[in-house]
Amino acid sequence: MSSVTSTLFLSLSAPLLALYVAFMVYSQYRFNPRWQALEKRLAPLLSLPHLAVALGLVYLFSPGGMVYSAFAGIIGHAAPDWLGLPRKSLLTMILAISIKEVPFFLLIFSALGRQLAIKDWLLQGRALGYSESASWWLLVFPIMLKQSRLALLAAMAYTLSVLDISLLIGPNIPELYAVALYNWQTGFTSADQANAFLGNLLLLIMLATLITGIYLHEWLVVMRLRTNAVMAKPLNIARLSRVFTAWLGFFSLLTVAILVTFLLWSLGWNSQSTLSSINWSPALWQDEWFFMQGPLLNSLHIAFFSSILGVAITLLALELQQQSQRYLPDYIWLLAILLPQLSMVHGWRIAHSDLSASYTTSWIILTHIPFTFAYSYLVLRGPFQSLNRHYELVAASFGYTYWQRWWQIRFMLLRPALLSALAIAFSVSIAQYIPTLIIGAGRITTITTEAVAIASGNEQSITAVYMLVQAILPFIAFLIASVLAQRIRGSFDATHH
Amino acid sequence: MLRIINCHISTDHWRIELPDIFLQSGELLVLTGPSGMGKSTFLHWVLGDTIKHANISGEIHLNDVSLNALSIEKRCIGLLMQDVHLFPHLNVLDNICFALPSSAKDKGGQKLNKNQRKEAAMRLLNKIDMGYVGEHFAEQLSGGERSRVGLIRALANQPKALLMDEPFAALDPQTCAQVSQWAFEQLHTQGVPAIMVSHDINNIPPEAQHLDLAKYYRRIAS
Repeated sequence: MSSVTSTLFLSLSAPLLALYVAFMVYSQYRFNPRWQALEKRLAPLLSLPHLAVALGLVYLFSPGGMVYSAFAGIIGHAAPDWLGLPRKSLLTMILAISIKEVPFFLLIFSALGRQLAIKDWLLQGRALGYSESASWWLLVFPIMLKQSRLALLAAMAYTLSVLDISLLIGPNIPELYAVALYNWQTGFTSADQANAFLGNLLLLIMLATLITGIYLHEWLVVMRLRTNAVMAKPLNIARLSRVFTAWLGFFSLLTVAILVTFLLWSLGWNSQSTLSSINWSPALWQDEWFFMQGPLLNSLHIAFFSSILGVAITLLALELQQQSQRYLPDYIWLLAILLPQLSMVHGWRIAHSDLSASYTTSWIILTHIPFTFAYSYLVLRGPFQSLNRHYELVAASFGYTYWQRWWQIRFMLLRPALLSALAIAFSVSIAQYIPTLIIGAGRITTITTEAVAIASGNEQSITAVYMLVQAILPFIAFLIASVLAQRIRGSFDATHH
Repeated sequence: MLRIINCHISTDHWRIELPDIFLQSGELLVLTGPSGMGKSTFLHWVLGDTIKHANISGEIHLNDVSLNALSIEKRCIGLLMQDVHLFPHLNVLDNICFALPSSAKDKGGQKLNKNQRKEAAMRLLNKIDMGYVGEHFAEQLSGGERSRVGLIRALANQPKALLMDEPFAALDPQTCAQVSQWAFEQLHTQGVPAIMVSHDINNIPPEAQHLDLAKYYRRIAS
C-alpha cells in the first residue's frame, strides 16, 4: 500500500513541481532578449535522457559524488552524509523527474504561447495597475494550466510507470509500484501472473486517480486565482518568479556537469580520488568498446528506423486529417504517452508471445513507433497546421497538382520542423527501456538496457561509459538536425507563423 | 490635466515634432495620420510601454505629476485597444472586479468583500443596461458589447487618463457611431481626459481636439 501511495505522491508532485518551475521560467524569459537563447537550446536540453539526469544527480550530489567530494575538499574533512542526496530515495526521484520535465513543459508553453495574446493581456493587466509578475499569475497561468492538461498527464503517466530510474534511484523500502509490477509481470508462478493482472488494473486506477488529481488541482488553483483577480489581490509568490531568470544558465551548467562527471568517471576518477592522484586512462573505453558495439549498433538501427517511420506516420496522420477536415482530439494521437507504458507493453508482450513472433530488432522498432510517433505529432502538429496556405495557392495558380504542391511546397517548407521531429523521435527511441527489455526478452540489448543492467551492479565507471554514450547520441542527432536546418533557406519564415 | 510637451518621435527615416498637448478633465484628443506614422507607438509611450522601433522623447505630466520615470502600473492610465482583451478565463463581472482598485471601500470606509465587489461591478454594468452580460464570457459577447464592457472595465479602474487605439474600428459603421458616441459621453461625464487614435476622420466628435500627425511629419534626407 505504501508503495502505491509513494508512487502516487511522486507522480503527482514531480510533474506539478516541474510545471510551476517551467511557468516561472517561461514568464521570466518570454518577453526578454534571453528568450531566443532559450528556444535555441531547448530541444538539445530536452534530449538529455531521464536516466542520464537521474544518475548524473547521484554522481554529482550523493555522498561520494563529485560536488559532495569537492565540498568536502574545501572544508577540509568529510561532510556528513545527510548533506548529500540519497542514492536511492523518493526525494532523489522527485528531484530527477522534476528537473528533467522542466524543458518539456517549456516546449509546451512555448507552443501554447504562440496561440495566446499574452503580451496584450499583460499590457492590460499593467494598465490596470498590476505588476507584470502578478499579471502573469492572475491572467496567463489559469489559461496555460487548463491547456497543459495533456502534457501534465503525459508527464504523470510516464512517472507512474517509469521502470529504469525507479530501479536505479527509487527507494528500496517500499519499492516504487512500477518495480513491484514489473517483478510480477516477469514472474513465472501463477500467483505472480494473477498479481500482474490485478496489478495492471490497479495501475489504471492509479492513472484515473492522477487524472482526478489534475482536475482537482486545476479547480483549486483556478478558483484561488479567480478570487485573487476579483479581489484585485496580487499573489505573494509572484516575486518568486524572478529567481528563475537564472534557469537556463543553471540547467546548461547541470547538463555540462553531468556529462563531464560521466567522462571523468569513465577515464579513471572514483569516489576516493583526488585530482592529483588519478591515473587518467582510456583503458575502460578500449575494453568496453568490444562489448558496446552490438548494443550501440542495435540502438542506432532501432532509433534510425523507428524515428523515420514515426515521423512519416505523423505526416500521414496530419495529411489525412487535413484532407478529410476531420480532426481527432489530441489525446487519441498521444495515447501511447498518456497510458502507463508498463501495462501497455505487457499487453503487447502477450500478443507477441501469442503470435510466436521472433526476438528481432524489427519487433522492437515496431514497439518504439507509438512513442516516436506521439512525440513527432507533438512537434509537427503546430507547424503543419499553421503553414501559410497562400504558398500552395500560388503554386496551384501556376498549374501544380496537389501532390506536386505537397512535395515541392509543403514538405520543403516543413523541412526544419521535420528535422527537429526526427531528432526528438531519435532521442525518444534511444531512451526507451521498457519496450526494448520486455519485447526483446533480454535478447536484443541496446545502450539503454545495458546501461541499466550495469548500473544495477556496482560498476560506476563502466556505467559512466554507457551513460555518456546514451546521453551523447541524442546530442549528435540534434547537432546534425541543427546543421542541416541552417542550410535550408527561408526555413524560419515557414515554421514560425 | 494631461500635459505632453516637447515630444519628438523619430526613426532612421523620419521625424515628428509634436505640438504640446494640453487636455483638461473630460477632454478628448483624436490623433489621425497614415499608417506607420507612429500613432500607436505614441500611445504606448504615453502608457509607459517599452518602445522598440522608434525613438521618442518628451515630458508627460498628469495632474502635475511627471510620469516619465513611472512604470505602466504606477501611471494610472487606462488602455482600450481595438481588441479590448477581456480576459478569457474570467466572466464579464470578474473582468470588471479585476479592474476595481483593491482599495475600493464602501460608504462606511470598509474594504469591499468579494460579494460587494461583484455588486459594485454589476452596478456599473446596470448603469449602461448591460447587467444581462454579467455572467457571460468574452466569446459570448457581440463586438459592440465587448467594446462597451471594455470601456466600463477601463473606467472601473478609475484611471486619471485613458488611451484608446482605434477602439471601435472593428465594429460596423452604425454600431461604431452608437458606441463611440456613448463612450465619449461616459468619458466626459467621468472627467477622464483621453487620447484616441483613429483612421476615421469623418467621425471625430465636434468637441474633440484633433491632431493630424501627417502635418508634423518630416522625412530625413539620407
